[in-house]
Amino acid sequence: MNVLIIGGGISGISAAKVLLKEGHRVTIVESTEDLGGLMAKIANCRVGFKTFFDEIHDRRNLTIIKGKNIEHVEKNNDGIYKVRIEKEGEIEAEKVIIATGLMPYDPVEIKGKRILTSLEYDSIIDQKKEKMPEDFNKIAFILCVGSRSKEYPLCSSVCCSYTIREIKWTLMRSNPEITVFYNDLRLFGQEFFLERMFRERGVRFIRTNTRYFEEDENGVTIRFYIDGEIKEERFNYAVLAIGLRPNQSLINLSRLFGFSLNNHGFVYETAPLTAVDGKIYICGGAIEPMNIKDSILTGFGAGLLASMGKDKINDFLKHHERYLYKEREPEFIIDKDASSYLFYIGADDTFSSMFYEYASSRFVKIAKELIGLGKKVYVITKNLVVPSYGEIEYELIKEEGVIFINLEEGEYLETKDGKVVITGGKRELSFNVDRMVFMEDLISGHKTKEFLSFYRSEPQLRWSPTKWNRERFHIGFIRHPRAERWEGREIIGALAEILLDKEEERVIPEVNEERCSGCGSCKNACPHNAIEITQVPKDVAIFGLLSNTLNPVAKINSDLCMGCGLCASTCPSDVINLPTAQ
Amino acid sequence: MEKIIAYTGYKKKDFSACLGCKICASVCTLNDFSMHANPQGLLLKILLGDNTITDDPLIKNCVSCYRCTDACPWQIRVPEVVRAIRETLELSSPFEKAFKGSISIWGRVYEPYIFMNAIGFLIKNGYLKHLMKWTEYISFHLPHKIKRI
Repeated sequence: MNVLIIGGGISGISAAKVLLKEGHRVTIVESTEDLGGLMAKIANCRVGFKTFFDEIHDRRNLTIIKGKNIEHVEKNNDGIYKVRIEKEGEIEAEKVIIATGLMPYDPVEIKGKRILTSLEYDSIIDQKKEKMPEDFNKIAFILCVGSRSKEYPLCSSVCCSYTIREIKWTLMRSNPEITVFYNDLRLFGQEFFLERMFRERGVRFIRTNTRYFEEDENGVTIRFYIDGEIKEERFNYAVLAIGLRPNQSLINLSRLFGFSLNNHGFVYETAPLTAVDGKIYICGGAIEPMNIKDSILTGFGAGLLASMGKDKINDFLKHHERYLYKEREPEFIIDKDASSYLFYIGADDTFSSMFYEYASSRFVKIAKELIGLGKKVYVITKNLVVPSYGEIEYELIKEEGVIFINLEEGEYLETKDGKVVITGGKRELSFNVDRMVFMEDLISGHKTKEFLSFYRSEPQLRWSPTKWNRERFHIGFIRHPRAERWEGREIIGALAEILLDKEEERVIPEVNEERCSGCGSCKNACPHNAIEITQVPKDVAIFGLLSNTLNPVAKINSDLCMGCGLCASTCPSDVINLPTAQ
Repeated sequence: MEKIIAYTGYKKKDFSACLGCKICASVCTLNDFSMHANPQGLLLKILLGDNTITDDPLIKNCVSCYRCTDACPWQIRVPEVVRAIRETLELSSPFEKAFKGSISIWGRVYEPYIFMNAIGFLIKNGYLKHLMKWTEYISFHLPHKIKRI
């Protein structure tokens, strides 16, 4: 089968990976001269993309057309698309995957020589360059530029994350004074640990935003309002965390291929990852703003959908359901008798912080229900994490009358004589409410909070977004407390990963148990923790008498082993063998 | 408070969109003079039904420059809300009333009319120290020669 993938970014390549594995012919059309899209623009992700792409770059079934656009599309009676590409002629495709990705917002009205966009700043902290320029002593990061606005109401969902990483890379190379101006810190999972680390290192986080910049030769003066007064501060540089908008080429493509777009300029998703049933599939930034990890997940999913179709996938799901692992979400019920409610979204320790997205989305849902019943609802937030389309839900319930109050840094909530008081800062607001619901109440339902520590190290999580080990693929709440629209996507993505994984040829080393001395050097060398030293009973003859002892012997766990061969090469007595090495 | 909102011709949902980002405060003209004005705080006070609203520097001094609206991600028209509050709470001074009256009658500022209506207020608040400057403008209404070059 011929499959056309529009866009050679990370999600397009992920889709190609699944399709090539299934033995289809894949054509990737990329409108720019380089593959990689937005991901390859980020200095620290470029290498990652290359290694990801190198696995498939020399496949015979893969054709890549760079720097060309699609001119004309015709669909014949058999349902085959005849696609004319400029200066390249016509190609036929039975199925199409739209992976156009996102476009960074260009803040022309603000940016300048001392006010950089995050992409410009990223090229400065590129690790290939030896040193940071000298005058980067005091840097301000300004979040939410070009997203969460009337023009584009979605939250770009990645700006906070990449800003926290830019801070990481900056601190790795020099030690400037850093200030972050934020509305909400929309971090996910382990990123909250980074945040705490940076706070301890002296990075200042201020919950206010600003558009007042006075730029001159040596720096930029920023004015901001905090703690009931206006303040002015001078910085060497300001970095704008620009939002991601839908790709403009989608408008043209939707006309050519005949799929529809939603109000915000993204592709309308008729079923999970599907634009036109059985014909056109979508992945990555064509659906909504998402990070690299999710782009890979949806890319895999779209690839699987294109190669199998819906019915076969249901079949596949039946056979492999036991691999999908889903954590049961405890029920949380609020009685609806009271006339006014107050929700508090705020965590004090980092571990509870990881539940921000979960708590925010659940509270927004409950608040919507309560306001529909005519109750008075206040939501006090220390941090509110409602990424991408979640932001629209949040805007809607504000319109209906839910009142949101943002706590500034240092402010906290207290109960005094039956009243709730915001205190700690300069203002003092008090509320008379019948019922208070705290974030801690919601997450205490999870008796063991341990499952979130199942998160593996970040890079691993990204290349295989759902895989925990070969027998277990995480979906739903345990992977990430996501909104409901993610459920279908996750299942398909996880199935694609199972497919990629199952057919992978793997060489598992063999241990010669007779000769192994159990020294443990292989255990230390193994990067995947696949080797254990076990005690094996053995008969030993001591001066003619037979006796029983326990012998330490290395044992390889075939589920975790990746077949890298490090153990074989480190073994001091050549006891471990890789079967193909001979 | 509902009255204020109704007066603006604004629905509550038009400014309930406020994110609480305080961008408006950072660009506000009043803050050029360090008045610590915060439009976001004002909107929140309206939503919460706070009574201390008249003390807000914005109510006293807002010049309706719409800089906040320009910078606001949701383009909330704060000056219109401020104007509505002033009208409903009848906070405008006799001078302001006279000024507006002059505009509505003549379509421009007519100083004799303003003097007539607001002289008590002007004396009481010591504005008459500016009288010399004013007379220069007033003299424009008297017969005068036009300089020819």
